[in-house]
Amino acid sequence: MKFSDTMKDCRVIIMGFGAVGQGVANAISLKKEMIKEEYGVNLKIVAAADSSTSAICQEGLDEDLLVKTKKETGKLKDYPEYGGDKSNIDVLESVDYDCLFEATPTNIIDGEPGRSLTLKAFSEGKDVVTSNKGYLALNFNEIIEAAKENNVLFRYEATVGGAMPIINLVKDTLSSCNVSSIIGILNGTTNYILSRMTSEGSSYEDILRESQELGIAETNPEQDVEGIDAACKTVILANSLLSIPATYSDVSVDGISSITSEAIDLAKRDGYLIKLIAEVSPENLKVSPRLVKEGSAYDVNGTLNMATVKTDLAGDVSVIGLGAGSIETASAMLTDLISILKLKY
Amino acid sequence: MRMDLVLAVLDVPGQLVRVLEPISGLGANLVTVIHKRDVKDDKGKIPVQLTLEGKRENLQRVIEKFRELEITILEMDGFVKKIIVSTILIGHIVDSDIRDTMDKINKLEGVYVSGFDIQLNGENKSSALINIEADLDKKQLVFDRVEEIANEKQLLMINEV
Ligand SMILES: NC(=O)c1ccc[n+]([C@@H]2O[C@H](COP(=O)([O-])OP(=O)(O)OC[C@H]3O[C@@H](n4cnc5c(N)ncnc54)[C@H](OP(=O)(O)O)[C@@H]3O)[C@@H](O)[C@H]2O)c1
Repeated sequence: MKFSDTMKDCRVIIMGFGAVGQGVANAISLKKEMIKEEYGVNLKIVAAADSSTSAICQEGLDEDLLVKTKKETGKLKDYPEYGGDKSNIDVLESVDYDCLFEATPTNIIDGEPGRSLTLKAFSEGKDVVTSNKGYLALNFNEIIEAAKENNVLFRYEATVGGAMPIINLVKDTLSSCNVSSIIGILNGTTNYILSRMTSEGSSYEDILRESQELGIAETNPEQDVEGIDAACKTVILANSLLSIPATYSDVSVDGISSITSEAIDLAKRDGYLIKLIAEVSPENLKVSPRLVKEGSAYDVNGTLNMATVKTDLAGDVSVIGLGAGSIETASAMLTDLISILKLKY
Repeated sequence: MRMDLVLAVLDVPGQLVRVLEPISGLGANLVTVIHKRDVKDDKGKIPVQLTLEGKRENLQRVIEKFRELEITILEMDGFVKKIIVSTILIGHIVDSDIRDTMDKINKLEGVYVSGFDIQLNGENKSSALINIEADLDKKQLVFDRVEEIANEKQLLMINEV
């Protein structure tokens, strides 16, 4: 198909230019030709911003140069000609755009800056794609209602399981089914730590230290190892797929920091593995270490994520995928954008 | 595997079909049916003896289906009627009176501790694996009770999914 006569522009802003924001720029660079061919839409990044600076150009910025600039100097203001000191909401007010890619840090105290950026975009009639689970875990309904009121589209596949499809899978592909529960491994860092404790018999402290050296665990690993990250995802799945109006404080959370290598060994002798499992059901909203059978669908190792969806018509459906990573997470966001293009362009 | 069951079924037309219908759909084969019309109980139910064949998990699904349909199971041969659940406790297990923990679990009707393995770690927290045998329908009860005990004794409990 050729769209040359009817080619439309889709102008996007990327807020947050860390691993995920840069991944989005890279993914657009790799896929913009395909999107032109398949959907007749010309994707343009009209602004990108980090915590204190930005690059803004109504005609469109070069994706590769954005990433190169950020990598080399650490600041988007150093982008040739179009770099500057605008940040935050000011960026949204400086340029015409159609869709916001929101990839700022997760904040579970007040959801900022993601919450305000998203609501601002909605109020201007713009669609939003996010990877940020913080404000959704705090107040899911507020955001969904605001999108409805403003008649805009909001997509958040990347907030749960990174590149692993789960939200759109259930909403679109399994739309004939009722879902009674989702049980899964929703945090890659803890899965990596537990997998290595299992294969090597080493202590939690040793493997955590090594994971930090490898960049798999953060310097402050609390969000991951104490189950906070998985609990945020539990809230998002509960609201979006099981219509349970839960918030972060409704989830019972135990992390993995007190798991001993002896416990893992005892489990192994009995044919079990220990995994940090998120359970999303009307009876239980819970993140905790659990025993899973070796060789079962939950026997998924390394940084991989997985989820088993229990449905009424299709039985159990399980998915496995990469729960994190720059371009991997960006893939989910670009898929979300394409679903918006299909509906609106 | 094979499983023998005795169900209580109302002796009115259609009831036996209602019982037998779900079986093949769940991946189990009906091997024999024995219908004892001469031993009606005071609610008008008669015992129906079935022999089923199939994979363990399919047989289990049949049992679950019967429960869902509120069909009374009078007898069931050893295998599927009982389940073994495993749980791991981490913490000051010995100090918090391990004997008492087991006694409390054993006090539940139809539930008893069938296996126990502990790994001590000097002054530190120890880890224990407990296998508990229980009636099929007591699984949640066992988990709830062990959780209560664990909370009371400040132990971390790791249950099966
Ligand atoms: N990494 C993953 O694999 C992954 C997977 C799924 C979901 N997520 C979620 O995606 C989001 C981004 O993750 P990430 O890994 O890309 O984080 P990151 O590498 O820490 O990047 C965060 C970016 O946000 C910028 N930022 C901070 N405050 C801002 C503000 N007020 N306005 C605009 N930008 C601001 C930071 O600026 P500076 O560059 O100036 O510091 C940085 O560029 C998080 O919510 C995370 O939970 C990440």
